[in-house]
Amino acid sequence: MDLVDLIAEKRFLGQEFLTWLWWKSEERGGVVALPEEGDIVVVFEKHMLLEFGEGDSNEKLICRGLQTELQEARTGLVMGKKLEQARIQLVYNDYEWNFTLAAALMEFRNVKLPKTAGPDNANDPEEKEGMVLERIHLFEELIRIVLALYRVFLKQRVSEQWREELLKMREWVALAAKA
Amino acid sequence: MGFIKGTAGFVRFSVEGDLPENIWDFIAERITSNAFRDIDDTYEENSIGWVSVTNMFDTDFEYASYAAGNYVTLSMRQDERKVSGAIIKKFVAKEEERIKKEKEIPKIPRSMRVEIKERIENELMRKALPVPSIFDLCWNLEDSTLLFFSTNQKAQGLLEDLFRETFDLTIMQQIPYVCGEHLLDEEEMDKLAAITPDFFV
Repeated sequence: MDLVDLIAEKRFLGQEFLTWLWWKSEERGGVVALPEEGDIVVVFEKHMLLEFGEGDSNEKLICRGLQTELQEARTGLVMGKKLEQARIQLVYNDYEWNFTLAAALMEFRNVKLPKTAGPDNANDPEEKEGMVLERIHLFEELIRIVLALYRVFLKQRVSEQWREELLKMREWVALAAKA
Repeated sequence: MGFIKGTAGFVRFSVEGDLPENIWDFIAERITSNAFRDIDDTYEENSIGWVSVTNMFDTDFEYASYAAGNYVTLSMRQDERKVSGAIIKKFVAKEEERIKKEKEIPKIPRSMRVEIKERIENELMRKALPVPSIFDLCWNLEDSTLLFFSTNQKAQGLLEDLFRETFDLTIMQQIPYVCGEHLLDEEEMDKLAAITPDFFV
């Protein structure tokens, strides 16, 4: 199958991951356990985009607001919409990233890297290279953590335990419907 | 978009294919021969090539400035002359009016209209200043992965072509399903190939 077909046919995979991650994060109040790494902070905030249907009938729903106001987005899930984009705060080892994950293609948007000291002399080639390498490290660290979370999801998704996980997620979505 | 400073947007690719043994010599030679060529003083419509990530006018890459540790950092620069449809339409109509008056004819024959449109388009294109676009990338040689700092799909297409032309390597976008190949074992991957969407209600 070529990439164009794969993108269309497997679009749901990234969206299911993002929805799963949202639930995982809410389940323990913004903390998700990562095998071999321990607990990391994953908070869904401010901005979400849900979509429904494909092609011409594609509808989008944008929800903004503080964490607690994401009720509307959860109600969107009840209506069968899929979570396509979310703004996420991720804290790991004293580093904090803020980024928007676009799920279907796994695009990282508006990525704010953890604050670092920056070079003393930006014109010095060695310092410049050091600064570039530091930024690369921070980008790659973010990717490594997101992929580690994605791996946990994928392992579950293809295992026997997925049914159980799915039932719990449905309960969580149903709570939003009653709220 | 944000590789060197500020907020960033990016997508991931894997780099497929093998590099020769003398990696850095090969890379140096290929980057130089595919460096960006300026078209400000020519009439060319389009030019695309590599520039330094910190300076869009640097195509010499002194001291291998694209190398940072085990990474290759480059910007893809495209300069393109563009003329908006509305401008072309206006100047074609203007020229048609002028010819009608000059030749004292009520209507311009079709063949002549085609010729006028082509001529005006060429003239306007020559007058248009090339508009630059810059897209950064960071290539991890150890993992054969690449970050491309744009979520624009047209730019991603241009990158695929320029990268293949430059290094004889193809790049593959790491969409979630493709990512799975690096995260799951064979048996799990077979299961993943077969799954269908689930609903959370």
